[in-house]
Amino acid sequence: MKDLFRILRLWRSQDDVLLLGIAIAMVSLASGISVQALAGAALGGAAVLAILRLLGPLRVVLRYVERLATHDATFRALADLRVWLFRGIARGASWGIGFRRSGDLLARLVADIDVLDGVYLRILIPLLGALLVWPVLVWRAWDVDPHLAALLAVLFAVAALAAPAVAARGAMRFGGRRAEAGAALRVAALDLLSGLREVRVFGADGRMRAAIQAREAELYGAEHGIAAVAASASAMALLAGQVGLLGVLIAIAAAGHAPAALLLLFLTLAAFEITGGLARAGSSLGQAARASTRLFEAVETTAPAEPAHPASPAGFALRFEGVTFRWSVDRPSVFDGLTMEIPQGSRVALLGPSGAGKSSLAALVLRATEPEAGRITLGGVDIARIPLAELRANIGYLSQTTHLFADTVRANLLLGRSDASEEELWQALETARIADVVRTLPEGLDTWMGEGGAGLSGGQGRRLALARTLLSPAPILILDEPCAGLDADTERAFLATLNEVAVGRTVVLIAHRLMGIEQLDRIWRLSGGHAMAATG
Amino acid sequence: MPRRKLTPARAWLRAREHEAKGATRRVVAVQALGTLLAIGQAACATLLLAGIGLLWPAIGFGAAALLRAGLAVLAERLAFNAGAGARRRLRDAVLTSLLDAGPGKLRDRHSAELAGIAVDAVEAMDGYHSRWLPAMQQAVLGPALVGLAVLAVNPLAGITIGLCGLLVPFAMALAGIGAASASRRQFHAMQRLQTRFVDRIRGIATIVLANRAEAEAAALAEAADELRRRTLRVLRVAFLSSVSLDMAAVAAMVLVVWEAGFAWEPRALFALWLVPEFFAPIRAFSAAYQDHMAAGPAAEKFAELPPPAEPVAPPAAIRTVAAHGVTVAFENVRFAWDEARGPALDGLSFRVPAGETLILTGPSGSGKTTIMELLLGFATPQEGRITFNGADASTLVPAARMRLIAWIGQRPMLFAATIAENIRFAKPEAAAEEVQAAIHFARLESVIAALPQGLETPIGEGGFGLSGGQAQRVAIARAFLKGSPLLLLDEPTAHLDPATEAEVLDSLRRLALGRTVVLASHASAAHAFPGRRLDLQPANVAARGVA
Repeated sequence: MKDLFRILRLWRSQDDVLLLGIAIAMVSLASGISVQALAGAALGGAAVLAILRLLGPLRVVLRYVERLATHDATFRALADLRVWLFRGIARGASWGIGFRRSGDLLARLVADIDVLDGVYLRILIPLLGALLVWPVLVWRAWDVDPHLAALLAVLFAVAALAAPAVAARGAMRFGGRRAEAGAALRVAALDLLSGLREVRVFGADGRMRAAIQAREAELYGAEHGIAAVAASASAMALLAGQVGLLGVLIAIAAAGHAPAALLLLFLTLAAFEITGGLARAGSSLGQAARASTRLFEAVETTAPAEPAHPASPAGFALRFEGVTFRWSVDRPSVFDGLTMEIPQGSRVALLGPSGAGKSSLAALVLRATEPEAGRITLGGVDIARIPLAELRANIGYLSQTTHLFADTVRANLLLGRSDASEEELWQALETARIADVVRTLPEGLDTWMGEGGAGLSGGQGRRLALARTLLSPAPILILDEPCAGLDADTERAFLATLNEVAVGRTVVLIAHRLMGIEQLDRIWRLSGGHAMAATG
Repeated sequence: MPRRKLTPARAWLRAREHEAKGATRRVVAVQALGTLLAIGQAACATLLLAGIGLLWPAIGFGAAALLRAGLAVLAERLAFNAGAGARRRLRDAVLTSLLDAGPGKLRDRHSAELAGIAVDAVEAMDGYHSRWLPAMQQAVLGPALVGLAVLAVNPLAGITIGLCGLLVPFAMALAGIGAASASRRQFHAMQRLQTRFVDRIRGIATIVLANRAEAEAAALAEAADELRRRTLRVLRVAFLSSVSLDMAAVAAMVLVVWEAGFAWEPRALFALWLVPEFFAPIRAFSAAYQDHMAAGPAAEKFAELPPPAEPVAPPAAIRTVAAHGVTVAFENVRFAWDEARGPALDGLSFRVPAGETLILTGPSGSGKTTIMELLLGFATPQEGRITFNGADASTLVPAARMRLIAWIGQRPMLFAATIAENIRFAKPEAAAEEVQAAIHFARLESVIAALPQGLETPIGEGGFGLSGGQAQRVAIARAFLKGSPLLLLDEPTAHLDPATEAEVLDSLRRLALGRTVVLASHASAAHAFPGRRLDLQPANVAARGVA
């Protein structure tokens, strides 16, 4: 719950809009309840026609304005939240998330933001409305009968506060189980669909489906728990309202039909009506609290401190000096006193079986993580002393998980170098052996890719990512398995071109094997946490 | 009125509505009972205030209140069941469709996307079944019941409320004609923004390493703000339909009181009491509209799924094939994935006698993988036939064919389970000794010994990562455990470094002993494997070598 309040604090920059929305909503609510209560009073003979004539249309207009104002405020708040999450994850990503947590996992956080979209509109505003109506109800009842006032005060608290609290607790109690079951269901579905071949070959269709159904049942069990608690809470609120109404009815029947009494009757009816949705809101409050906790967990990763005494590299030679590294203490170390030099402008291959730490090496150079011992220097300066942005501007990196964005081909390429000319774009595409494919796309460079756009095959996508990396003006290029997904002929052609371009730049080729046509200055073989020079 | 042409997604939704008829009807029936009780309560209240009785109306009111609370809980439960039941049904249908289509037809689709359909899209259909469908019927039934009750007690008020109620759909249609299509567009725009956001987060490492995080954050804020402004323009019109609802409710209340002449009149009280009850189902309908909207994109995804396979009549004569040694043959097989791009195989024939090895070589695109798919039955030849021990493959029951085959691909799938369960995957009923033998055969002992929890170490998604060579050993252990006479190897060492490749090939050679083997591989691996070679050419100009 604490984290939910922290989310509310994040919205402080939108304070004025949010508060305006609340103010309008309260006036609108007051007018709505007044119309109903006064209509009741009119039945008792109160002369309220003039007021009703005024209030009726006012109520309609206010409600319209309220809807617009509160929706506007919600959109603003959510937009802020998205940008906040993006920045937070970006900060964390710069500290290794991209290497440790899959992007898919992070993308699921987006659903948590969606959960929060009801916090203002469906929880905060109705709750404030209830708190506004409460004293009015008690005050009007006091005039009829103080005992009745006390009864209504308690019953209204049950409907407006206790019932939502019960629902919220239910959501919190089952929420963890639901999240786990949901994640397990997704893993089971992914297992079945990624392993469709194995599943069919080993005749495991039935077993895998049974596993999915078991997780599904677990998920629905947890959801049923939440729904059952919420339904009981709603029923509790409904009953509280009904008992209140019965009390008012009996009091009036005993006291005659004074306008004040009928006003109270319809005020009670209207007041309890607004508590009707609060139990459900309570349930979503529980979910929102969990969601905000997850969001803060994702965002609050320690970011690397910018160096106290920044220095700029003089040159671009990379040196590893006795680097020891492991991803976490319970994992075996990846490097154990790694020492290696990659001179400026050289072409180097890093070979090694998977698991030998080829990608960890890139993470270290990019300072997405730090060595336990030893140091890495760029141009003679410890990279820990180079400002992150500057360090990364000097390195063009193609990873095995390099992402192609749902955007135009051009926008994807410009990520490598935002000021590249048309000619440079095509040049990079040619080198990556993908220009012909792009030419055949319906709108060339401006074709939309990804969802709803032109689908490129996996290999073509890799080549586009490669073109983007080649476009980068960085003096050092680290290409992690650039030829994965390329067929042998294309791979050969690509490596031949790579020999010609990028002259003067350092090229670090990470691969599990060589084709034999690469022109390399040096080959390092990684194994057992050390690098050994091998002959080309 | 001309019928609007149904898009596949709409037709699909229509079919779901039909399927869910029973569940929807149950929810609506219970909700309608609640409405009847509310009418009864209004009557009790009226009697009470008209001084016609005190005790009985009060008891009636209280009893109805208790019943209503019970019915509300029941209605919630039924609605939940309607949603859960529909999701269960849908997920089953999605999985059936995907399993029927098989890896051959789905080879171009990303498994994460498919899992998204089987999980997220199915979940998105919950509100449609649990809220929207009942609300749609209740929006007519509820006001009708209340209206009729008022009409019977107080005809003038009944007509007034009824007319105000009729005004709502009329005004909604008037305001909604422009708004409906605009808001649908808007909904799509909102989804695009969401997709973009998800996409940027998925690729956040790429953005950060390119030093573009700040620029992207600004662009994201800009896009969200632009969308907000456009959305509000649409909402200004769309909310007019809610205005009509508010207006009708207020008007109904004021008119009922006015008709009573602003004086005490029990029948007017009855009508006034029921005005909120009359409009509540319409409000619920309005609120459930977003569930209807959310079902749209999900429905589109479902409608695009491959249709369920025609139930194939079991082959005339179901054949089983002797499990000792299999001879495989292709006879003039022609196959095209896509007729426009020409055949992948054209008139291919070869024969692999029992216990022998055939090595398929050739550049990528020459049809090596296609041959594997055909052998596995994930694709069927358009011409010619494939035989196992002389029996046409199409006459074999799929399960019987799969019993004959073990297959190892480029990157074996490691399931989210322990390493023991992953090996056992090939034969869940295998005895512990059999599993041990498979582990020994695949030389996995040292790998397992190094794992933190030994055999019980979770691997796969979220588990301990295995290297490519280790994963391939798990695949070898699986194939050994299965013990099938036909072994299909599709580039089993393509992603391994030379040292690991040599070790894996050695294990594969031992696995191949006494089995019929078809190996698709690049040159160097092929050299290390004894057997006949079939050199394939792209588009199958002609197969050279021994055929």
